[in-house]
Amino acid sequence: MKRRSLLKLGIASGVVLAVAGGSLALLKPGLADNKLSADSRQLMRAVALAVFDGLLPAEAAAREARLAAHLDQLDANIAGFPPHLRGELSQLLSLLTSSGGRLALMGLTSSWAAASVADVQASLQAMSLSSLGLKQQIYHALRDLSSLVFFSNAASWQLVGYPGPREIP
Amino acid sequence: MSSIVDPIKEGLARGWKVLGGKHGPLPTSLDCDVVIVGSGAGAGITAELLAKAGLKIAIVEEGPLKSSSDFRQLEADAYAQLYQEGGGRKTADQAMPVLQGRCVGGSTTVNWAGAFRTPEETLNYWVDIYGLKECGAEAMKPWFEQVEARLNISEWLTDPNANNSVLRRGALKLGIKAPTIHRNVKGCWNLGSCGLGCPTNAKQSMLVTTIPAALDLGATLMVQTRADKLELKGNQIAGLLCQPVHADGSHAGPALRITAKHYVVAGGAINSPALMMRSGLPNPNDLLGRRTFLHPTVASSAVMPEPVQGWAGAPLAVFSDHFLRTQPIDGAIGYKLETAPVHPGFAMTNLGGMGRALADKARTFPHTSILIGLLRDGFHPEAGGGVVELKNDGSPVLDYPINGYLLDGARRAHLSMVEIQFAAGAKSVRPAHEQAEDYQSWHQAREAILALPYEPYITTIGSAHVMGGCAMAATPAQGVVQPDGQHWQVANLSVHDGSVFPTSIGANPQLTVYAQAARMATGLAKRLTEKEVRLDSPAVPASAASAA
Repeated sequence: MKRRSLLKLGIASGVVLAVAGGSLALLKPGLADNKLSADSRQLMRAVALAVFDGLLPAEAAAREARLAAHLDQLDANIAGFPPHLRGELSQLLSLLTSSGGRLALMGLTSSWAAASVADVQASLQAMSLSSLGLKQQIYHALRDLSSLVFFSNAASWQLVGYPGPREIP
Repeated sequence: MSSIVDPIKEGLARGWKVLGGKHGPLPTSLDCDVVIVGSGAGAGITAELLAKAGLKIAIVEEGPLKSSSDFRQLEADAYAQLYQEGGGRKTADQAMPVLQGRCVGGSTTVNWAGAFRTPEETLNYWVDIYGLKECGAEAMKPWFEQVEARLNISEWLTDPNANNSVLRRGALKLGIKAPTIHRNVKGCWNLGSCGLGCPTNAKQSMLVTTIPAALDLGATLMVQTRADKLELKGNQIAGLLCQPVHADGSHAGPALRITAKHYVVAGGAINSPALMMRSGLPNPNDLLGRRTFLHPTVASSAVMPEPVQGWAGAPLAVFSDHFLRTQPIDGAIGYKLETAPVHPGFAMTNLGGMGRALADKARTFPHTSILIGLLRDGFHPEAGGGVVELKNDGSPVLDYPINGYLLDGARRAHLSMVEIQFAAGAKSVRPAHEQAEDYQSWHQAREAILALPYEPYITTIGSAHVMGGCAMAATPAQGVVQPDGQHWQVANLSVHDGSVFPTSIGANPQLTVYAQAARMATGLAKRLTEKEVRLDSPAVPASAASAA
């Protein structure tokens, strides 16, 4: 058998079950029709607010529009992943959108919709320095996917002073 | 519309035989002389040479056929469309992202166009340890020359971009050699978008060279077609089962069975051994999929006083092999120094951070220089590489543990790069490590790096060079294939790609793959047809005059 399976979901599920006292069957899939479920969208929105703090528009309506575009772009990227990768992401999001999983794996007491930017940042920061492979995997899955999608989007280019590709006449 | 002529569109209009995806449904069976799995560096060279020998060729590629008119130089398109697993391939514990092409042309369509001959010390090691006398530096020279002529490989004469100038300037100041890279380009526009697919067809990838040559000679290319299983009968392959797939890799229609006199596997390291594992091929010495190497790669970013704009200009122009040679090849791990393209998605993601730290990086982005250090794995007992495993759905994953030996190399490479960046005038430097900070001086950085914990995950490591897993060797005890690429146990099966490397090589692998594939495919053409073929001369006139 594999010594180190992807995301060690078996172990993760065990942790969550122990904490939540629930059953895996009760968890909702993190992806529905290959897109972020409503709960997963809240989660990835909270991650974006934390990771891109200081880079998002200050004005509320503009910020919401940028976040919505970012989440739509995440959906588009996820749709291009191979089925096994989508399956793993769906399981991960499923765990993290359950209250037991959120608490056990990320130490967050409030819901994704209610969690403050500072709380999510503190949680992600702790995971990024964790000695547990599982927490590192979760941190990178959430942070790196968000970052790649956010900065690949032309709407973010002026934030980094990138003029876009040189035109070919 | 761009003024660039798309040679793939022209070829399709001329009547190239391309099937799969939007090019039309696959038949349920197909017979040919040689089927080639993959369309990258090893497959492309093999396809051209075998087609020139008059053989009826079928090429099976899992990825899509994309070409210059599709290449918009956008990260948002490229990673998802042109890379393995939608750009999301990682090692089993997810500690290393692995960049590999998955499109016609394979990784040659998306590489950064650095072309190095195999370092002589690597070839000597292969001769000494694996009995590969065919791979000695003198024996390989004509193969390098032939491939270099075919792919227009020559020294890059344009001034290096500002990112590469940092490497050169800093290295020279420290008395370290930083020569100019050779590149496989023709009329390069110096755009800097090599990793996103060349929009001007300047990069002499397999997509615009050998694959079109083979198609012009009548080869059949099947795209969005996954090689699922080789059927073993006795010591022969009896057929290749293929699965048409959608862009995301999910099934798209009924399977195809290809029969051929000979089968060449060239799907790239990880995928080639995985195909052979799925097929249950003989593996008496338990070598298949083992010793898979990555050149684990670490990075250091610097904020320079001058604008760097590292997205513009040839991403690789300057390199240094100094630290490959400061210790024996089988001693503490050596590393090659290069640069990386500074595109927003790629760079901002790989340099790490969030919140204020990320916002600071964004502000200084146009002044950011990125150096990379590629660790030469495979020469020391502690650098035995990774193992390819199959998941439940048959797809492969590489289990490559990062150990203390590699992490010691990561620390030393960080120190070297940081010192070079300060010598080049950096205002601040930060190695890619979750606990590193922006250091203001070489002295401060050195103290800090020596004190940092070097562990997996917090040390940022990735790979774009996958090698090994089907090693060639002079004895079956040491190799999956013979020195000529022929499988040791299966009669009509060869492997012609980077998976035959018995170690990593300490240089960007494309030219080594080309040269080894040229050597192997020339031999295979001779065995199958008695004909002598070359990449730099026209097809052998065939009695069956279909090769117009």
